[in-house]
Amino acid sequence: MALAHFSKYFNRDLVTHKLVQDLKGDRELRERFRADEGSVLDGYDLTPAERTAIEGRDFKALYLAGVHPYSLGQLSRLIYGTVEGAGSSQASSALVESLLSE
Amino acid sequence: MADIVFAGAAAHAPGLTGWFEKAEAGTQAEVRDAYRRLGDEIQQAQLDVLLIVANDHILNYDPSDYPDFVIGTSAEHTGPAEWFKPWLAVDDYRMPGRPDVAEILYERLAEADVRVVRNDELSFDDNISVPVTMTGFKEHGTALVPVIQNCTVPPVPDERTSYALGERLGRIIRDELPDGLRVGLLGSGGLSHEPGGPRYLEIDDEFDRWFLDLLAEGDHEKVLDQATLERMEQAGAGGTAELLSWIVVMGAIGRRDCEVLCYAAVPDWRCGVGAVRWELDREPATTIGG
Repeated sequence: MALAHFSKYFNRDLVTHKLVQDLKGDRELRERFRADEGSVLDGYDLTPAERTAIEGRDFKALYLAGVHPYSLGQLSRLIYGTVEGAGSSQASSALVESLLSE
Repeated sequence: MADIVFAGAAAHAPGLTGWFEKAEAGTQAEVRDAYRRLGDEIQQAQLDVLLIVANDHILNYDPSDYPDFVIGTSAEHTGPAEWFKPWLAVDDYRMPGRPDVAEILYERLAEADVRVVRNDELSFDDNISVPVTMTGFKEHGTALVPVIQNCTVPPVPDERTSYALGERLGRIIRDELPDGLRVGLLGSGGLSHEPGGPRYLEIDDEFDRWFLDLLAEGDHEKVLDQATLERMEQAGAGGTAELLSWIVVMGAIGRRDCEVLCYAAVPDWRCGVGAVRWELDREPATTIGG
């Protein structure tokens, strides 16, 4: 099933948005996220579905839960790295692979 | 009475600075020349202040509380935001602001039917960093007032709302900014792309070329009829609607001849890249309405 436009699912109040905002703005939090992701996630009131999706790199589940695609793209870069390597980046490839999965 | 003496628009795709070399040499040259031309025209216009109309990428506000427009009132603008540095690969920049101009814009735009706020601590991502680097503007020493626009967090002010906001912006510039002030307008964003969505790796070059042709045709009413927010979303959800910032500039200047400076669809850039300028020194050559 093809995904509908993100606005069909968008939920502005999802805590995942706040997590991504905080990670972008806080270097120490990012370092802790890389070293011990679970301890960072413990600090956020994520729904069990959000947490499971983040831990499983299930971007499609997050999209369907209502995370804005910009935040999804940024989350993928926070997880996989933000520097572009040869060819398409690992972050964007992992994200699209998840979104297009059955 | 201030004067609008420069108007242009261009994409702010991060690939332009972060991974420019992934395009073929000829494309690189074409795109580099177009942005340099914009930079040269900005410099030759001897601006007192450049207004860059652009979205941010959910940087300054959480989606739960996302204003429609934000006027950057700081006396100095610095960037890029720290996390975006490796992504954009641009040198740090520091540009003067114009708080006096920004405050007038804020106070008068706040009367519009959209939510306008001011912010003297704006952070910048691709939106400002890419155009000021590619055009060389950050080296000019000219003042900047950022006008940050919501192009992506629903509900997004649509094409007619954006155009009307631009018309209001143009009136404020002409009627309420200090006499003789030379003002430039740069729309920053687009063209087709779908950042973070299922078509993240795709570019709708057919839409992009159609849109640029439509602008060159010069009929603003036709642009508003056809290049709707809905049509932009079809060409790449969440990202293509950054072209609404171009629509704001068009509203501010009214119908003027538009020259397309470049277009490139480079798959690795994941975003259609184009740049245009509007001819402000003479009335439009075309006789169509709009």
